[in-house]
Amino acid sequence: MVTMFGKRIRLFRPRSIWIRRVVQWFFLLLIALIVLNHSLVESGGGIPFLASASLHGVCPFGGVETLYTYLASGLFVSKIHDSSLVLAAIVILMSILFGPVFCGWICPLGTVQEWVSKIGKKLFKRRFNHFVPVKLDNVLRYLRYGVLVWVLYVTATSGSLLFEAYDPYFALFNFWSTEVAWTSLAVLGVTLVLSVFVERPWCKYACPYGAVLGLTNLFRVFSIKRAESTCKADGACSIMCPMNIPVDAVKTVRNHQCISCLECTSEAICPVAKTVLFTSGGVK
Amino acid sequence: MTLTSKPLSVILFAILFGGIALSSGMGWWATESTKEPAAFTEGEFAGLANPADIRGSYTFGDIANSFEVTPEILAQAFGVSTDDPAAFAVKDLEAIYLESGYEVGTNSVRMFVAFYTGLPFDLTAEETVMPKSATDILLAKGNLTPEQVAYLETHTVNVNEPASAVEPVTESTPVAEETHVESTEDYTIKGKTTFGDLVLWGVPKETIEALIGADMPDPAMKVKDYASANGLDFETLKPALQAEVDKVKP
Repeated sequence: MVTMFGKRIRLFRPRSIWIRRVVQWFFLLLIALIVLNHSLVESGGGIPFLASASLHGVCPFGGVETLYTYLASGLFVSKIHDSSLVLAAIVILMSILFGPVFCGWICPLGTVQEWVSKIGKKLFKRRFNHFVPVKLDNVLRYLRYGVLVWVLYVTATSGSLLFEAYDPYFALFNFWSTEVAWTSLAVLGVTLVLSVFVERPWCKYACPYGAVLGLTNLFRVFSIKRAESTCKADGACSIMCPMNIPVDAVKTVRNHQCISCLECTSEAICPVAKTVLFTSGGVK
Repeated sequence: MTLTSKPLSVILFAILFGGIALSSGMGWWATESTKEPAAFTEGEFAGLANPADIRGSYTFGDIANSFEVTPEILAQAFGVSTDDPAAFAVKDLEAIYLESGYEVGTNSVRMFVAFYTGLPFDLTAEETVMPKSATDILLAKGNLTPEQVAYLETHTVNVNEPASAVEPVTESTPVAEETHVESTEDYTIKGKTTFGDLVLWGVPKETIEALIGADMPDPAMKVKDYASANGLDFETLKPALQAEVDKVKP
């Protein structure tokens, strides 16, 4: 609040969901340290009081990949362990409650893409995240379901994590090792370059795990909801949305790409209090 | 109910780490198996677990986690009788086979897993024997190379017959001459000849199938039993098979 011409005026200043950044960096560092510790332990060292799991051991998508094999034979596909299945179940529970919060709050690859995107935002200002023609973009958004089907098929038929050879997440945490395939490094490189132009390109167009979790947007308990009675229809929520969802055009966001980042809410970009909410109830 | 970012972040941590703690308490949380063999680093099998890296401390369950072979198959192959084959440690095989005098142990398991899964295995590195029960399973699976079949022909042991009847297997003792204990060493089909024997003698699986007019039976099945069970005349089938054996016998 400031006083101008004798009147107290509330100046709107876009806020950020800063706690989300903290959570994102926490998990990025946690996973990086665990992977580092895994290597140290293998070479006889290790960091005390820190898990030394492999990257696969702490990746919930591994639980999805191994599900068919596990149900069919009771075995895990190569490199996948019980923890992957447990994490997959936990993340699905989170997603049923809150939507794909894993994507928006936890996934380190999403965090890194957002970080690189800051460069694009500075370079291109309002053009950033609007380079892809809408019609093409709408079609490409379904590409990740094709990737998901392919990953599940090749994993089930081979019993191996063949997707690892193309997985930018694996490359992100193993780029220094000889285990990583050049193809996954290339996919990571392309993803990071595209992040300068598009917010979260991997998440939008190719992530098979995002495809799985995105489906929970259709029936999640807590959703982004817009109160039409107080909405000023300024479009701020839609402009801010990293996934280009037209929040201002719907009452309840059921878009399969929402990542529950809350950046569109009245807690962040929306200038009107209690207008864009993350709620399980109804809004007027 | 409406949530803002701070309570949401607390709930996320609670669900995630609470879930991990709960699963850990239930014994479901295992981030890795320390019993994970090293992977092939090059060639067409690069990245796949290498059977040669199976250790004596591995259980059959550990092996099943890294290779496409179940604990039950391993138990059947190596004659292990247990209610929980997944918990059986490879190193315990030597104790089981101690009295037989044959060195059936970790390397036998390595070779079996490699042959069963179609992964490479260096047959020149160490003389390795295979129990007949394991060989039968491998032959039934039908994915062996001619080199592997030839190796098994000379390195399969019948553990029910004491090794003291022949020379113990040592690196300096040619296993082929010492441990070949097939039921009919003179390559003559008799009542106790099994289909596995025919394959070990070199008769192609396809030839056997053509003569019996059906898919290859269980290698452990005797030809005579198969004939009587399927309405075939053993005395008619035997000469036909014998003719094929005579064509390929050494």
